[in-house]
Amino acid sequence: MASNERPQRASVGDRLYDLAFQNRVWRSIFRSGYPNTPRNQMLAVATNVFLHLHPTRIHRTHVKITHTFCLGGLSFFLFLGLTITGVLLMFYYVPSVERAYQDVLALETDVRFGQLMRNMHRWMAHGMVLTVIMHMMRVFYTGAYKPPREFNWVVGVVLLVLTLLLSFTGYLLPWDQLALWAITVGTNMVGSAPLLGEPNRFVLVGGYQVGQAALIRFYTLHVIGLPLLAAVFMMVHFWRIRRDGGLARPL
Amino acid sequence: MTTANPETPSEPISKAVRGRQSRAREEELLVWPDLVFIEFICAVLFTVLILILAVMVDSILLDRANPAVTPNPSKAPWYFLNLQELLLHMHPALAGVIVPTVALIALGAIPYFDNSNDGQGEWLSTPRAWLNLWVGAFVGFFGTLLLIFYDASKHVQVFEMIANGSLSAKAPPPPSALQYSEALASSGKTVPEGLQAIVSGGNELVQPTDTVPSEFYSQSFWNGQNGFTAWPEQLEFLTTLRGIQTGIPWPEWTKEIPLGNVLRTDLFGFPRIELNVDVPALIVEQIIPVTAMVGLPVLLAVVASKLGIAKTKRDHMIMQFSGFIAVYVVLTIIGTYFRGVGLELEPYTIFAHP
Repeated sequence: MASNERPQRASVGDRLYDLAFQNRVWRSIFRSGYPNTPRNQMLAVATNVFLHLHPTRIHRTHVKITHTFCLGGLSFFLFLGLTITGVLLMFYYVPSVERAYQDVLALETDVRFGQLMRNMHRWMAHGMVLTVIMHMMRVFYTGAYKPPREFNWVVGVVLLVLTLLLSFTGYLLPWDQLALWAITVGTNMVGSAPLLGEPNRFVLVGGYQVGQAALIRFYTLHVIGLPLLAAVFMMVHFWRIRRDGGLARPL
Repeated sequence: MTTANPETPSEPISKAVRGRQSRAREEELLVWPDLVFIEFICAVLFTVLILILAVMVDSILLDRANPAVTPNPSKAPWYFLNLQELLLHMHPALAGVIVPTVALIALGAIPYFDNSNDGQGEWLSTPRAWLNLWVGAFVGFFGTLLLIFYDASKHVQVFEMIANGSLSAKAPPPPSALQYSEALASSGKTVPEGLQAIVSGGNELVQPTDTVPSEFYSQSFWNGQNGFTAWPEQLEFLTTLRGIQTGIPWPEWTKEIPLGNVLRTDLFGFPRIELNVDVPALIVEQIIPVTAMVGLPVLLAVVASKLGIAKTKRDHMIMQFSGFIAVYVVLTIIGTYFRGVGLELEPYTIFAHP
């Protein structure tokens, strides 16, 4: 050890590393340097807007796959995927009863990767309902709803309802027989509520039967109203996970 | 001999200290790389899986929406089919609105009921957790199935199968007027005048070879003549839940008890609601379903705590939650794959849709 105290000359690798990660352009984008030391790794998480949802350190039991099965993260991942494919689908879809069905047909036959986008959107939507329900089961069976996380469980129940509503509003958009009658059955259930059911159904459908007014309402809720609401609740959900000290642990 | 270990104090840690989770640095990992990479790999894996699924399975697109043509059956999306299934068994307001609302509120209230920290942060780590999970799931699953089979009068089929000693034994179809009056006469019973008129050709509307009119027809008599033991007519009210409404001779007045204009909804611009109580319908559509939905879980909880299966709040929560999930699953499966034309209980897939 003692014989090696004098600094060595920089190798070719060190020079290349400096060239790649110590230049002005790289440092202007990533201030922490390449995360190859514990210090830089923590800085990378703490100073990156996307990564700073995470803490810099985490308890070792929480990275076990079988503890969470990544279900909450998967739900969020599917939400992001649905946003991306949804935006692409919006380029080709006009929410009018004259055009909607034709647009979906055209999407399947004329648009390059159109059928793929629609399939991905649909399967991710079904998948998200499943992962959200399974995430709820995971949280329940690991006892993760217990104090101080009670309210975050309630936020989670709201997110479950929003997920179901997002899926339900999207169901009408292809404007085929499946869509029309599923929404008719569903909205009739709303209408059966005592006293306020029928007025509520009228507001939701925008008339006495599912038609143009219902389509534009469901479309608006599906592409902007409910996603925004879900995003707000997700912010609260994630924020509180951090505030409550990450995932629940045995005391 | 034994030296005091500084890390395990002999005094119990005070509650205030225990309430905060210890932050042992050596138990912690760095999020980069240990968590970020897992998330990244998971995201890549699922992107690939979804791409493969999307390439292989196309989503359904039926004919253009047509309000004039109602498909049979018409079904809600799969995650609401459990509510549509409930709709077959109870009042629509109950199935469509009240039950889901109450269920969601109950779901949200779980942490406020079970507020101990037992079993926190580990899979089913309390002593009787797995037992309660299986008991709740088992009772929820098979209890719901039994209730559905009852309302589809499957027990009637089982009775007839056993009584006739054959799976394929079927009740004989109603005979013609001529056959029926001959059977009546040969068994020493009086043939009603109206039926005599039909057989002798005196009735211009019904021919002797037509099916015997229902006012003269007794199914149990005809079944008995043909050696078929059908579900006893006296037990008609036990065939389905509706049977209580139709199989019991309710006096007419019970079907319309006026309560006056109790709900003055006209003051708010809605139609005024005239309240008439239909007692048989009330019993069948509301009282019995509510009693079943509230009473059976309560009964399960009471029995489980008497038997020592569920002792703590967490035990009860695990049992009820598992029961709820099992009921959700079984109703969804029945609604998706076993409700065909006319929402009859029979195998069905969406691909058989016209």
